[in-house]
Amino acid sequence: MRTVLKKILTAMRGGVNELGEAVVDGQGNRILEQELRDSEHELKQAKQELASLMAEAASLARQIRTEQDSATKREDDARKAIAAGQEDLAREVAERIVGHERRASELTQTRELLQQRIVGLKDRVQKAEKQLADYRRELQVVKTNERVLRTTAQIDTNINSQQSSLSTAKETLERIRERQAREEDRQTASATLEKELTGADLDEKLKAAGIDGEQDAIDNVLARLKDSPAQ
Amino acid sequence: MDTQSLTLALGDATHAGRTFDVMPIAGEEPVLQVIVSGAEETPVYITVTDTQILCLAYLFDEQELAPERQNELHENMLRISVPMPLSSLGKTGQHYVVYGALSPASGTSEIMQELVTLAENAIDLLQTFEDYLA
Repeated sequence: MRTVLKKILTAMRGGVNELGEAVVDGQGNRILEQELRDSEHELKQAKQELASLMAEAASLARQIRTEQDSATKREDDARKAIAAGQEDLAREVAERIVGHERRASELTQTRELLQQRIVGLKDRVQKAEKQLADYRRELQVVKTNERVLRTTAQIDTNINSQQSSLSTAKETLERIRERQAREEDRQTASATLEKELTGADLDEKLKAAGIDGEQDAIDNVLARLKDSPAQ
Repeated sequence: MDTQSLTLALGDATHAGRTFDVMPIAGEEPVLQVIVSGAEETPVYITVTDTQILCLAYLFDEQELAPERQNELHENMLRISVPMPLSSLGKTGQHYVVYGALSPASGTSEIMQELVTLAENAIDLLQTFEDYLA
């Protein structure tokens, strides 16, 4: 990822990329895509192998358990034969027990080896998954970068063909200010209209001239109250 | 969401009292120009890739800036980029841009929200950084 990011930055700083040429050229992209496919393939294989090894380990565990169960069962038989004084029979059973125990021990060894391979393979799968995620991220960065460059180049070409040139930030700011002034005028106008409609403007004028209807009313009430004092 | 369905969806939609004037930009890439009502000066451009919907608006070009104040501007742009809602600041070619990326699974309402925010942010940023213009 670091390599890709550095490549992009170098190309950008050099200014070679104003027209939206690919930073990591087509060849580079194809290599990245091939690496991605190889990683995907390896991951798939490793997972298949892992699945079959795990199935084998489970089957071995089952076989080991069977051998151990058989040995335990035969031990009972041998004890019974000894108790019945059947020494020869007991010996025969003991031979069987040895066979079961030996197979159980052999199978356990095989299973341990298998277990080691499984651990190794799980590690490989994890690494491949991480590698794959890395490649995907890299490819996404490269592709997005190219898309942005091509897109902006396309926008510029288009604007240039419609107008004499891309409008400058100052011109844009001027247009923004004009619109904002228009909006403000409209708001002032509608506020004025509102006042006229409700008569609020007239009240304001009267107040300014020292004629305050509200104050007069209060004064009148006070005068009335003074004329009729409390009994 | 592709640019075609976006054109159809935005054509007669309103969002937070805004309408959208959508125009495809001719060329190989699927690019739309969207003019948001009330923020007509800063058109927003949209392009859709496999992994994201990219919306961007132009702020100013490098050659429009006062060179001696460029470092200070960069510092301020980096600082303002974090708290700014839904948009980040960036540079592509000579253009300084404000942009936002959305998941391709975004709905029309999220996209409209992004467009309105981006157009308004572009205006606020232009006015904020006006002093840095040459």
